Amino acid sequence: MPTLNLGMIVTMSEQKKHELKLDQHLALLARMTQEFTTSLDIEETLHNAIVQMMDYMNAEAASIFLLENDDTELVCRACAGPIKLLGLRLPADHGIIGNTVKQNQVQMVLDVSADPDFTAQVDEQTGFTTHSILCAPLTVMNKKLGAIELINKKTDDGLFVTDDQHMLTALASSAALAIHNAAMAASLVEQERIQRELELAREIQGNLLPTPKHASFPIHGYNLPMREVSGDFYDYFTLPDGRIVFNLADVSGKGMNAALLMAKTSSLFHCLGKTQTSPRKLLAMVNNEVHENSTRGMFVTMVGGIFDPASNEILLANAGHQPPLLQHADGHFEEILGESPPLGILPNIEFPETKLQLADGSLYIYTDGVTESQQNGQMLGEEGLQDMINSHRDKPAAARLEAMFDSLQRDGRLLHDDVTVLVIENSQLTPSLCLHIKSNPSELKGLRDRARKTVLAAGCSLEQAESIVLAIGEAVSNIIQHAYNAEDGDIELNINVDHQIEPAQFIIVLRDYAETIDINEIRSRALDDVRPGGLGVHFMKQLMDSLIYTVPEDGLGNRLEMRITINAKNK
Amino acid sequence: MQKISDSPVSFEIDDEQGYLIVRFAGEIDLYGTPHAREVILNCVKSDRNTVIDLSAVTYIDSSGVASLVEGYQLAKTNQLEFGLINTSEAVMNVLQLAHLDKVFSIHASLNERLQAS
Repeated sequence: MPTLNLGMIVTMSEQKKHELKLDQHLALLARMTQEFTTSLDIEETLHNAIVQMMDYMNAEAASIFLLENDDTELVCRACAGPIKLLGLRLPADHGIIGNTVKQNQVQMVLDVSADPDFTAQVDEQTGFTTHSILCAPLTVMNKKLGAIELINKKTDDGLFVTDDQHMLTALASSAALAIHNAAMAASLVEQERIQRELELAREIQGNLLPTPKHASFPIHGYNLPMREVSGDFYDYFTLPDGRIVFNLADVSGKGMNAALLMAKTSSLFHCLGKTQTSPRKLLAMVNNEVHENSTRGMFVTMVGGIFDPASNEILLANAGHQPPLLQHADGHFEEILGESPPLGILPNIEFPETKLQLADGSLYIYTDGVTESQQNGQMLGEEGLQDMINSHRDKPAAARLEAMFDSLQRDGRLLHDDVTVLVIENSQLTPSLCLHIKSNPSELKGLRDRARKTVLAAGCSLEQAESIVLAIGEAVSNIIQHAYNAEDGDIELNINVDHQIEPAQFIIVLRDYAETIDINEIRSRALDDVRPGGLGVHFMKQLMDSLIYTVPEDGLGNRLEMRITINAKNK
Repeated sequence: MQKISDSPVSFEIDDEQGYLIVRFAGEIDLYGTPHAREVILNCVKSDRNTVIDLSAVTYIDSSGVASLVEGYQLAKTNQLEFGLINTSEAVMNVLQLAHLDKVFSIHASLNERLQAS
C-alpha cells in the first residue's frame, strides 16, 4: 500500500483527492479480500484486518463480534485499539452492535450519548469513552454472523462520514465471507474427525463379535448395523469340555451410548461365561453388573445359553428378549417363551432356564430389526421370518444366514434397526464318517469318494479335499500292502472335526487288525533317490499337519491318527 | 479305450510320429497300477519311444507315480525317449509333491515335445 503523503493532498485539487482516496479504498479492499480468501488462520487474519481497518479509517478502536452459543451471544473475536475486548461476551441484543446484527443494517451513531440503544456497560468496565460508533453487520446469504464496529473517528469533530459507512460495508462483506468459509472448513474437519472415530468404534465393535467358524460349527451369527455403530451383538465360544456358550442381545437406544453399553455387556458376558456356565446365574451376574452403573433408562435384552453338541441339549435364559424360534426337524416352528425383564432394570432378579432338545432342528435367536423390516409398508413379522427361513432351508446354516441377509437387503426392504440373527443346529452338517472296508485295492475308489464327500460337507476347499483324499488313499494302500501283505483283513476309517482346537481340524483315524508294526520302520525315502516306491509316507507327511501311529488300547493291530487344519493355506 | 479289469482306470495306445502314445483315463490307484505299469513297461520294452498322455487322469497315487518312474528308468537304460504330455492339474500336483516334476520331461502335447527336441 502506498504511503499517504499529506503534503501532496493539501495541494491537490478536490477531484484528484477523491481519485486518490478511491484508489486507496480499492487497494485496501483488494488486499483484505486476498488475505481473507487465502488465510487458513481466521483469527490471525481477522486481527490483521481489524488493525488495518482501524488505521485506514482513522478510528480510535475497532472490534469484530461474532454470534455464538446458538446466536444468543456476541463474542469479541478480534479487536484493535487501546482497550482489549478479545473474548468479551455480550447478549446478542446488546446495544448498538446488537441492533446492527438484529436489523442487518449499518449503524452510524455520531453521538452515542444521544442514542437510546447505547449502553455504557463496556465503557464503565474499561474506562474508555465512546463518542461515536460506526457498525456494519457481517452477513452471508442472509445468515447473520456478527458485526464490525469502529469507535471514535480521530478527526477534530470525531465524526464518521458517509464514505466511511460505504467503505466499512464493503469490507464487512468480504470479512463475512471469509468467516463463513472458515467456519465451514472447521465444521468439515470436525465431521471428518467424528467419522474417523465412528469408523474406529465400528471396527472395535466388529472385533467384539466372534470370528465366523467353518460351515460344520454348530453356531453361526450375522449382524448388520444400520449406523456406523450397533446396539446389537452376539457371541459364542467353546469351553474346554466341548460345550458352547452363546448369546444374542439388543441394547436399548441407538448410536454411541448404545454401542458403549453393548461393549460393556458383551465383555462382561464373555468374561463371566467362561467360568459361570449356568445361564440362569450368568444372566443374573451380568444383570447386577449392568444395573449397578448403567445410565438411567438404558437396558439390554438378551438370550444367553449353553449348547452341548454331545447331548444336543440347549440350556438358555431369556432377559426380556423376543422369544427364539425353534424349527423342529419336521419343519414346524415353536416359540421359546421367557418372562424375565431385560438386563439393567432391576437388581437381584431371577432368569429361569429353559432346557431344549435340539435333535435335528434349528434354533433361531434374532433381534426385532429382522421382523420389523418393511417392504411396501408391510412389516416382515414372525411369519415372514419363518417363510424366509423355509425358502433357504436346503442350505447349510452359514450359507442360509447369508442368503437371508441378502434377501433382507436386496428386496427393497426398509431396515430401521440393527439386524442380528444367530442360528444353532447340530444336524447332518457335522461330518463324521465311520467306514469299514476289506483290505482290498478294489475298495479304494469307493472309500475315496465317501471321504471326499464328507470333508467337502464340512466346508473344506476342493483343493484341500483332494489332498486329504490322497493322504487317506496312501495310508489305506500302505495297510493293504504292508500291514496285511495283500491278505484279507479289516480296515476302519473315521473322519471327525475337532472343534476344541482353534481353528478346527479334521481328525482322520485309520485302524487295522494286522500284526503290530514297528513304528520306526515307517519312514519315507529320500526324494533325490529317484526310484519307484516309498513315496506314500512322504505324501502323507507333506499333506497332513501331523501323523501319529499308536497301538490301539485293545492291543490289536495299528492305529494311525492324521490331523489337518480345515482350509489351512499351503497344505 | 481299454478297460483294465474293473479298476477305475482305462487306456488306449496310439502310434503317432514315431512315438507310442499311451492315453490313460480315470484314477490310477493301487488297484489299477499293476496293469498300468504293465502297459507302460511293455511299450518301453518294445523298443519304442513312449509318451504318456495324462490329460484324462483325475487321480494318481504313489503307486501310479512309481510305475511312471519305472517306465522312465527302463527307457533311460535302453536309451529310449520317455515323457509325459498333457498332465492334468491333479497329476501335476502329485508329481510336484514327489519333486518329480523336474525329473520327467513334461510337455503340453506331442507336437510341443517334437518342437522342443
